[in-house]
Amino acid sequence: MFKFAPYVLKSLWRHRSRTMLTVSGSAVALFVFCFVGSVQRGLSRLTEDQEALRTLIVFQENRFCPTSSKLPEDYVRTAAKLPGVKDVVPIKVFTNNCRASLDVVVFNGMPPEQLRSSRNLKLLSGSWGEFDSRTDAAVVGAAVAQRRQLKVGQRFTIGEVTVSIVGIFRSSVPAEDNYIYTHLDFLQRARGQSSVGTVTQLEVHLHDSADPDQVAAAIDAQFRNGPIATSTRSKGVFQRDTLSDLAELIGFAHWLGYACVGLVLALVATTTVMAVQDRIKEHAVLQTLGLRPGRIFRLVLAESVLQSTAGGLLGIGAGLGLLAWGGFAVGAEGVTISFNPSLDLAVSGALVSAIVGVLAGILPGWQAARTEIVTALRYG
Amino acid sequence: MALVEIRRLTKQFRKGDEVITPLQEVNLDIEAGDFVSLMGASGSGKSTLLNAVAGIDRPTSGEIVINGSDITKLSRGSLADWRAANIGYIFQMHNLIPVLTAYENVELPLLLLPMSAMERQKRVEIALDAVNLRDRANHYPRQLSGGQEQRVGIARAIVANPTIIVGDEPTGDLDADTTEQILELVQRLNSELGMTLLLVTHDPKVAALAPRQLRLEKGKLIEKGREVALVGGDFQERSD
Ligand SMILES: Nc1ncnc2c1ncn2[C@@H]1O[C@H](COP(=O)(O)OP(=O)(O)OP(=O)(O)O)[C@@H](O)[C@H]1O
Ligand SMILES: [Mg+2]
Repeated sequence: MFKFAPYVLKSLWRHRSRTMLTVSGSAVALFVFCFVGSVQRGLSRLTEDQEALRTLIVFQENRFCPTSSKLPEDYVRTAAKLPGVKDVVPIKVFTNNCRASLDVVVFNGMPPEQLRSSRNLKLLSGSWGEFDSRTDAAVVGAAVAQRRQLKVGQRFTIGEVTVSIVGIFRSSVPAEDNYIYTHLDFLQRARGQSSVGTVTQLEVHLHDSADPDQVAAAIDAQFRNGPIATSTRSKGVFQRDTLSDLAELIGFAHWLGYACVGLVLALVATTTVMAVQDRIKEHAVLQTLGLRPGRIFRLVLAESVLQSTAGGLLGIGAGLGLLAWGGFAVGAEGVTISFNPSLDLAVSGALVSAIVGVLAGILPGWQAARTEIVTALRYG
Repeated sequence: MALVEIRRLTKQFRKGDEVITPLQEVNLDIEAGDFVSLMGASGSGKSTLLNAVAGIDRPTSGEIVINGSDITKLSRGSLADWRAANIGYIFQMHNLIPVLTAYENVELPLLLLPMSAMERQKRVEIALDAVNLRDRANHYPRQLSGGQEQRVGIARAIVANPTIIVGDEPTGDLDADTTEQILELVQRLNSELGMTLLLVTHDPKVAALAPRQLRLEKGKLIEKGREVALVGGDFQERSD
């Protein structure tokens, strides 16, 4: 088969402007496909992550935006005593924008020692020592740092909160890269109205044997008659509920991804049909020389697969490059979905473009293979 | 047994109620090393006969036995393989692949045969030498003159050392001087290399070069003024 590679490549090169247009069309489509795919994966990572299903979030009942949830801080001690609970982390959340936005900044205030025990963060620059010793210290997720051009040593202000950046971190959970962590008491004090003594939410870590649903029900029962009633869900469900509007939108974008695939299919198929129609006589000559119809079919298929995968790889490369570089995220109500490049995405994109290439080549390849030699030589 | 044995070959085209029969139970033997020219009025069926022998068209009925195998019985795929090994086709319009160089065009038929790259190279060079175009090996068809293109076409037809070389008016598209060159070349293929040739032509001068001259008239093959007839026995045995 490879003996005919020069013929295939030179045929593509002969109509290079057509080939380039097809390749770029396929590149653009796969670029969008990748982007949509990364958003989708970001969302499912949030809601399906095993860890997220075994961690509970306690929020004030019937409240949505973090600013509106105010739990007494002493709920921590009460909750910690319930059976199955390993650890309770009080978190104060402050965000610049409660609505869906592409540039949300979310501060999470946590007790420093609990930040380190409950999160798997790796500092890319800066130091933990500095974080522990300064009350206004903040460690910034790599994605926010990228988006906002933040560096260690800078001060960063959103609304009435000003922090000193002492570290840039990368988390094992991509969505965390969109957060800024500060000391809990700092965030409680730093805001305009004092919220000392209250937190936005509790994060409850469970013992391995505990049943998350049972513990969640026990927590809500415990506080039902307290000063503030709570609503406790697993972190995955909490995130899904919080992002439900966005999730719907993202589900719709899904179709956009499929539409892109359809577009490449139509584009590559059109080009290949044109290429075959241009060369009816040439295919008759090749058959006269002794190429089997099956071989002609495969040569046409090779042309369409080459164009679609070349474009696909370019688009995937550009898409993943941009995702890696841009640190994009979309968020609402203090929960963010990060758009991350992944090998998985690259492989599925490459696979999709190869399959599309094959599909696009089938009809024209079949046309070319069943060329009637004599008729084609006469009129081709 | 002749190299090519055509028996009761009939070809009909149907257009609605009308039936055209350019070949009506045609018989013909071609021996190895023969040089046969085929003349006839336009529309008499010359190309039809040639294409049937070349295995690119299927007769309505009859047998074409070449080198012992009846090619009318081969499947499409096996017929393609058979062509690769047995037929050298010289087109009227050279029909070179425009994106390939002269060398690559000539090499094309060899890619289908089991052969080492070295052997391929040797054969292509010999074929290009035979048509005196070794120095144009890396030129593309558009960089060659009409006569040169046709010579590359001839090199491509002979490179695999086929059983028989067929040509459908190979000089039909060329001027007088170039025709002269090509004919000289074609004659050498037969006289020096011993290749078996079947050439369709309109030009009596071209036909005259061939030791055997045939005409197609009203669906019948005429040689030396008489319909080509075969000694009965041979044919009877086969059709039984
Ligand atoms: N596909 C076809 N359908 C119908 N009739 C056909 C077809 N191909 C050939 N014919 C007819 O068969 C007859 C023989 O055609 P053929 O091409 O063999 O003639 P020819 O002797 O080669 O003519 P020329 O010298 O003009 O090339 C012609 O009458 C032609 O019209
Ligand atoms: Mg003809």
